[in-house]
Amino acid sequence: MSAFAEKTDVVIVGSGAAGSLMAAKLSKAGKKVIILEAGPERTLNDLISSQINARRLKWSGEPVQEKGAQPIGNVFNSGYGTGGSALHHYGVWPRLHTEDFNVKSLHGRSLDWPITYDDLRPYYDKIQQEVGISGDKASEIWRPEGDDYPLPPVPIFQQSEIIAKGFKNLGKRTSPLPLALNSRDYKGRPGCLWDGWCDAGCPTKALVNPLALYLPEAKKMGARVIHDATATRILTDNSGKKAVGVKYHTKEGIEVTQMADLVILAAFAVQNPRLLLNSADGGLANRSGLVGSYIMSHAAATVFGLFDQETEPYMGATGGQLLNQDSYDHKDQRDSGFGSYQWMIAQAVKPNDLLGFGGSNPALFGKKLTEFMKRAAQHFGGMTGCVEDLPLRENRVTLSADKDKFGMALASVAHTAHADSLALWQAAKAEGVEIFKAADAVQVWNGPLGPMHIMGGTIMGDDGEKSVTNSYGQCHDIDNLFIAGSGLFPTSGGVNPTFTVHALSLRSSEYIVKNWSSLT
Amino acid sequence: MVNLTPAQAKERKIPFQALNKDQAALIDHLGDAIVPGAKKVGLSHYIDHQLSAKHADNLLILRYLRVNPPFDGFYASSLTAFERAVTRKYNKNPSELTESEMTDFITIMMQKNPEGWNDAPPAPFFYFVLRSDAIDVTYGTMAAFDSLDIPYMAHIDPTQTWENIP
Ligand SMILES: Cc1cc2nc3c(=O)[nH]c(=O)nc-3n(C[C@H](O)[C@H](O)[C@H](O)COP(=O)(O)OP(=O)(O)OC[C@H]3O[C@@H](n4cnc5c(N)ncnc54)[C@H](O)[C@@H]3O)c2cc1C
Ligand code: SF4
Repeated sequence: MSAFAEKTDVVIVGSGAAGSLMAAKLSKAGKKVIILEAGPERTLNDLISSQINARRLKWSGEPVQEKGAQPIGNVFNSGYGTGGSALHHYGVWPRLHTEDFNVKSLHGRSLDWPITYDDLRPYYDKIQQEVGISGDKASEIWRPEGDDYPLPPVPIFQQSEIIAKGFKNLGKRTSPLPLALNSRDYKGRPGCLWDGWCDAGCPTKALVNPLALYLPEAKKMGARVIHDATATRILTDNSGKKAVGVKYHTKEGIEVTQMADLVILAAFAVQNPRLLLNSADGGLANRSGLVGSYIMSHAAATVFGLFDQETEPYMGATGGQLLNQDSYDHKDQRDSGFGSYQWMIAQAVKPNDLLGFGGSNPALFGKKLTEFMKRAAQHFGGMTGCVEDLPLRENRVTLSADKDKFGMALASVAHTAHADSLALWQAAKAEGVEIFKAADAVQVWNGPLGPMHIMGGTIMGDDGEKSVTNSYGQCHDIDNLFIAGSGLFPTSGGVNPTFTVHALSLRSSEYIVKNWSSLT
Repeated sequence: MVNLTPAQAKERKIPFQALNKDQAALIDHLGDAIVPGAKKVGLSHYIDHQLSAKHADNLLILRYLRVNPPFDGFYASSLTAFERAVTRKYNKNPSELTESEMTDFITIMMQKNPEGWNDAPPAPFFYFVLRSDAIDVTYGTMAAFDSLDIPYMAHIDPTQTWENIP
């Protein structure tokens, strides 16, 4: 069965970080906006404080086939339903550094962005003012220029104090972790309660997830979110140079044609290229042949320890409390490997789940595990290195021969990290162990390589032969087709991506509003 | 519809839906050896309940681990391989193993496929998954937090009713 929906100004595919922000800004500018969200509707009341229930928020759309030596962990790293991955993200929001934008020019390897830090800086500043980031610019000595954080830093609990000593003893520095959550009430949203349930989604709006801010704003301005609506094809006119809408399937199996003046793909790094590749022979907006290429995922370098002192490991936010970026700038000056990494220190942990302390040392079982669980509940400490993943053309999303229930080819994602990224990850792990020893941990161990965040796949650039979009996310080949989200990143840097996703999305929204008549 | 926790479902001997009785017994036996206490809190009922839910509602850790649904075959084939490999090594059923035999066997299976472990996911992977399931049900509840002296501090309390028995 098929149906036609009334034409709209803008159709956005995906209600996550990028989609909800752009919907808010474009509807505020008077555009009629429809968001198509493949997953179910979720409300703040669905964000139950349990690591088991939290799994409901993970990707449960059509399966993604993963290949390569270091697969990207799509299900763990993606969300589904209102708010997307951002609904249960941890709100660690550092900025990219100046060098991240010019890696190729500076070092003759990796890629350049088509913009510099200075181009993005005003958008970082505007966004942090809008959403409220807690941090301390003065002690975050590595941070590039920009405004002070609007909120004071998050409090420090025992776990941080203990681990910070290790950094200090080795002559390394720590600062409060910049977190997109409220250290006190901010613009009508409450302060954080430091209970560590962010991974299950923050229902109080203390953390900036789409349900806390941009989706309600978008709805207030008239935007409509249609849930259980999976976009399956981007429609173009006969020339193939103008997008005219999107086809989507409802839960009931109805194929709906949604015509629009402008189309924005905000379905995250894997599903955006899947949609483009499924929309035309050889892929839509794919003159460069790069739709799907340069998929990246930070390698998580996990360090765990037990301490004699009580650490209160359950207190704080899931993202952590302190930051260290001593190994960030001068990517070519690492002892081993190439790139940048940062430490996110003292994450609040629960006993169970992949990131829980019970999972930290899988070799323990039986009585030893029981003893460990009791001790770790009060004496555990941990930190995670976010290690840059160098972009490789062959790390990419392609179409599988298998199809989903709508007849759309599934995404297959290959990812094998560059040897220099792996070397950097190894070095980070070893450094972490030294830091924990210097903090007098009585036991220290590392976890295996875990993929963290997904980026790339529809990279931006100046040259239409070497990238998919320009710096606004506008497809080189189709003026009124935009892509939003971390899929645009040509390089991953060694920081969490979502502050940058917001800054880029705001910049694109302003561009669209300003150029509306020539774009449509 | 009555909502029960896995432990209550176990106590009331609620029939399994996705697992057969032998599979459930094997899960409890091995799971409890890996995570003591898992059997008592209803590990097999927890897994059975999750396996019989539709994918979006299936909360098993397997979701994260690049195994596409349905998951029944994962457990069924691993349990068959487990039983076969134990019999090959000790000429006994898993339930007849002494504590130290079980410990030795788990030590092997967490590192490599024991002899006779075939037509199934790798043994170390199955170990990791079953261990995580058992930790979920043993340590992921409000009662378990309490016993570890961890303040739960829920924003919204979990229902803990993973069993929906018609
Ligand atoms: C556990 C976890 C913790 C994280 N913590 C941090 C952190 O601390 N800091 C940080 O910077 N980042 C973090 N991230 C990453 C962050 O969530 C993402 O970078 C961000 O959400 C990406 O935004 P997006 O809008 O591109 O995609 P998403 O937020 O994932 O939104 C995409 C949406 O598109 C929908 N969709 C997909 N396909 C279709 C289709 N065909 N039709 C319709 N809709 C579709 C999806 O269902 C989803 O809702 C974390 C992620 C996870 C999973
Ligand atoms: S710790 Fe703070 S941000 Fe995280 S869920 Fe609780 S109130 Fe929300």
